[in-house]
Amino acid sequence: MLDSVQISQPLVEMDNIVKTFGGIHAVEGVSTDLYSGEVVGVLGHNGAGKSCLMRILSGAMRANSGEIRVNGQTVDMKSPQDAREFGIETIYQTLALANHLDAPANLFMGRELKTRFGNLDDKRMLSEATEAIRQLNPNFKNLRDPVARLSGGQRQVIAIARAIYFQAKILIMDEPTAALGPSETAMVADLIVRLKNEGIGIYLISHDMHDVFELCDRVMVMNKGRNVGAFRIEDVNKDDVLSLIIKGTLPDSWEPRGGAE
Amino acid sequence: MSSKAPEQKRKFRFLPEGTSLHKLSAVATLLVLIFAFSFTSPAFFTVNNGLTVLLQTSVIGLLAIGMTMVIITGGIDLSVGSILALAGVIAGLTIKIGLPVAPAMALGVFTGAACGFVNGMVIAKMRITPFVATLGMMLIARGIALQLTGAAPISRLGEAFGVLGNGALFRIVEMQDNGFPKVIFPGIPYPAILLLVMAVLGWYLLQKRQFGRHIFSVGSNEEAARLSGVNVDRTKIWAYTTSGALAGIAGMVLMSRLVTVQPNEGVMYELDAIAASVIGGASLMGGVGSISGSMIGAFIIGVLRNGLNMAGTSAFIQMIIIGIVVIGAVYIDQIRNKN
Repeated sequence: MLDSVQISQPLVEMDNIVKTFGGIHAVEGVSTDLYSGEVVGVLGHNGAGKSCLMRILSGAMRANSGEIRVNGQTVDMKSPQDAREFGIETIYQTLALANHLDAPANLFMGRELKTRFGNLDDKRMLSEATEAIRQLNPNFKNLRDPVARLSGGQRQVIAIARAIYFQAKILIMDEPTAALGPSETAMVADLIVRLKNEGIGIYLISHDMHDVFELCDRVMVMNKGRNVGAFRIEDVNKDDVLSLIIKGTLPDSWEPRGGAE
Repeated sequence: MSSKAPEQKRKFRFLPEGTSLHKLSAVATLLVLIFAFSFTSPAFFTVNNGLTVLLQTSVIGLLAIGMTMVIITGGIDLSVGSILALAGVIAGLTIKIGLPVAPAMALGVFTGAACGFVNGMVIAKMRITPFVATLGMMLIARGIALQLTGAAPISRLGEAFGVLGNGALFRIVEMQDNGFPKVIFPGIPYPAILLLVMAVLGWYLLQKRQFGRHIFSVGSNEEAARLSGVNVDRTKIWAYTTSGALAGIAGMVLMSRLVTVQPNEGVMYELDAIAASVIGGASLMGGVGSISGSMIGAFIIGVLRNGLNMAGTSAFIQMIIIGIVVIGAVYIDQIRNKN
């Protein structure tokens, strides 16, 4: 009984979210939810409003109207700090790293560890960052270098480590593999499975159909600011999703495919 | 664990490796200047002249500490020269009203901080670029200073007002038989001590405190800092307030040295402070800079000014030379950024 209650309670519900910029409707009345231990793919063209919707959830942007509930409680997120307090962490497509700072300084940016005198605890930040980063990539050595001098994969690792170090419950990943090579992409895929098994809910923005069908439990497709379809991954195939992304509708002949098996 | 040893060797871990190189070359430049001027003028390399340089540099140095913080955030503060004058005027006027020297000077420093705070608010809240905002403050502060005094200097402020600028620690004076005092050891001037204290404090703030880390974050990538939960507006406001307060302190030192408040003082001092920071390795693009570098930069400018004076170079030629030095320093900065 207890179990079923926990399962029926979504981690996140976004209800009728609207965001406009001047006369442009970036997000028009979108609703979505995310459960614990689930990966929901967020798909759509560039400019379909998916990044905008995710930025609203991560506190980087405020919706004009609509409601966000975390664990059933209505929340008002004015800033990324607010979102983090609800356990929402975001890995931005741009990675959001300060190029002149080293890996520990980036990992703890905005949440610096301090000694009891209020000074920066660089020693502890380095050891914690070393541990967090080596879990993801054991070959990561040059932690004290400014991140400008690191490879794309290493930079991505820092961005991911920053999100999971603080025990995220809800993770937003915006194109986490766009800048990565094959082996690093596989590493991120493994990580997503691991985090999912730990009960973290993940929103995955991706253009890579292979990733989406490999990793996601559900997909939602956005087109021109609207949510044009949310399905269990078993119910759709790649053509259905592409049709939704491009036309905004399913192929005429569509019926839930999962039922056929 | 074995990989840790080489990691810890590098001290300036926030900055590209080129920065420590830059700092070394700045020190080398300083030494070359001192060496060269020792030949052009025999009076240059003496204890007394050394103290004079120290005294002259302390004002630029104080300004450069605040300027460095502002430049690391990716901004610039053109108003410090005017704020310095306004702070002096406020201190001078309140002494004339009857306030003792110490609280009057504190009020002057507070005036500087308030001007800096306004700079920060205009930049962070009204979203006006630092260049324009501080250019406006440069005119406003200078205008207020001139208006309050009618452009006339305030003199006869009493001996106590001159102590900060002219006093020295451990000064040993011996009365001679003929009744004249003889200075055996000129002592360490108070302004130099003040500069050292403020520089250490500034270094501590930048390297050891969260505020400093946020200054670097904001300058390096403002959007990333914001998304990471750094309060960008507050960081900027405090950086400009610090710069204003240091301009106020520099004003106290300068006016005290003259024992007169000059509302016209400090014109173009901001350029010396900017030059000191840039020569010391601060990048006008933000995210890079250090107090120690800026102090070396301040001394390069101080030595250059003093040495050229001693060699009898005209003030006009000095302007040309310092202009060339500034362009050269910024050019080196650009080459460094490309690599």
